[in-house]
Amino acid sequence: MSSAAMTVVIGFEGSANKIGIGIIRDGEVLSNPRRTYITPPGQGFMPSDTARHHRAVILTVLKEALEQAGLKPADIDCVAYTKGPGMGAPLVTVALVARTVAQLWGKPLLGVNHCIGHIEMGRLITKANNPTVLYVSGGNTQVIAYSERRYRIFGETIDIAVGNCLDRFARVIKISNDPSPGYNIEQMAKKGSQYVELPYTVKGMDVSFSGILSYIEEAANKMLSSGQCTAEDLCFSLQETVFSMLVEITERAMAHCGSQEVLIVGGVGCNLRLQEMMGVMCQERGAKLFATDERFCIDNGAMIAQAGWEMFRSGQVTELEDSWITQRYRTDEVEVTWRD
Amino acid sequence: MSTDGETDHKTGKLEFSLDVPFPSSSEASIALRSLSPDREPRRGGISKRLTVTGNTLSVRWSADEARILRVSVNSFLDHLSLVLETMETFGPPVDSGI
Repeated sequence: MSSAAMTVVIGFEGSANKIGIGIIRDGEVLSNPRRTYITPPGQGFMPSDTARHHRAVILTVLKEALEQAGLKPADIDCVAYTKGPGMGAPLVTVALVARTVAQLWGKPLLGVNHCIGHIEMGRLITKANNPTVLYVSGGNTQVIAYSERRYRIFGETIDIAVGNCLDRFARVIKISNDPSPGYNIEQMAKKGSQYVELPYTVKGMDVSFSGILSYIEEAANKMLSSGQCTAEDLCFSLQETVFSMLVEITERAMAHCGSQEVLIVGGVGCNLRLQEMMGVMCQERGAKLFATDERFCIDNGAMIAQAGWEMFRSGQVTELEDSWITQRYRTDEVEVTWRD
Repeated sequence: MSTDGETDHKTGKLEFSLDVPFPSSSEASIALRSLSPDREPRRGGISKRLTVTGNTLSVRWSADEARILRVSVNSFLDHLSLVLETMETFGPPVDSGI
C-alpha cells in the first residue's frame, strides 16, 4: 500500500442505542448515516431490544453509507468496527456484519476502541494539537491525556457516567427520549429559575454520580408534588452541579499536564451549557476550548472509521479470530502507534 | 438445515447439533469466521463448537440445562440469519477464486 495513494476506511458503530456507519478518505468524511433507537418516556434501552433495532436497519444504513459516499466496496481499503466497550448484544450484531463484509470484499478488519474513536474524531474535526480530553456520554466519563503511546485516564467516574445520571433522571420526570433525554434536559434547564442544592461529589481526580442521582430522584418525588420547585428547576440544578464537577476535574488534569487545550467529546459534549462553563474556566487559564457538533459528538460510524484510518496506516490489523467484542475495554489498553 | 437434540446419558449434558448448507465451501468458511470469534455471554453451563466440512457449517452445543441451550441456539440462529442476509445483499465473495 503506497503512502501516496488515498486510504479509505469504513467504520461501523453500534455500542449503545445509535447505529452508524461512516466512510473516511484521508481525513474527509464522505458519508456518515446513523439511526437512533428511541424508547418511550420513562424507559431506558435494553440490550436485546437495542440489538434487534440495529439488526433491522444495519444493512440499509450500510447501503446508504456507500451510496452517499459514491463508492463501491472495491474502493474501501479497510473495514473498522467497534470492538468495545459497550453493550454486548448490539456490539455483536454490528461486528457480525463488519466481519462478513470484510471477508466478502477481501479487506482487512480493524477492531477499534469506542472511546478512541471519539478522541480521534475530535482531533480531526477541531485540529486540536494535544488537548486534555473530557469524554462524557451516557456510558463513559473520563478525563484523558495523551502520553507516550497511550491515552491515559487522569480522572473518571467511580460509578455511573454523567450521561447515565442525566438519562435516568429524565426517566423519573418522564420527559421524551427524542432526540435524546440529555437534549430535552438541556432545553428544560434553560427555563429553570431556582437553584436546588444537590450533593457535589468530586473525589480527587475522580467523580461520582450515583449519589446525586439517588438524591435528585427522591427530591423530584418530594418537591415536585409539593410544588416547592419545578422540573425545570431540577434540570437546571442538576446540570449546574454535574457540569461544575466535570470542569473541576478537567482543570485538575490540565494543571497536572501543563495543558493549554481542552477537547470535549461524547454525546454530553453537545450540551452548550457544559461548553459555556468549560469555556469560562479555559478563559481564566488562557487555554483554548474545542468541541464538535452533534454529527460527531454523538456516536457515529465515521469516528470509528477515523480511528481505524490512523490504526491501519500505522500498520495495525485485527485477525478474525481476535475480533471478538468486549463490553469492557479501557481507553489506556490500546497502544497508540500512530502518535509519537 | 438438519437439527438433532438429545441428552448424552454419559455426561448428563444436553447435546444439540445444527448443519447449515452453503452454495460453496468458501461461503461456509466466511460464515464460520464471522460467527465464531465472540464468546458465549454466559460463562458456564454452555459451550458450542463450529466447524466447516465441505459446503456445510456445523454447530455442536453442549449444555447443562434446556433453557440455557434454548437461549444460545436462539441467539445463534438470529446471528446466522444476519450473516446470511449480509452475504445475500453484499456477496458473492470477491476472491472466490474457487
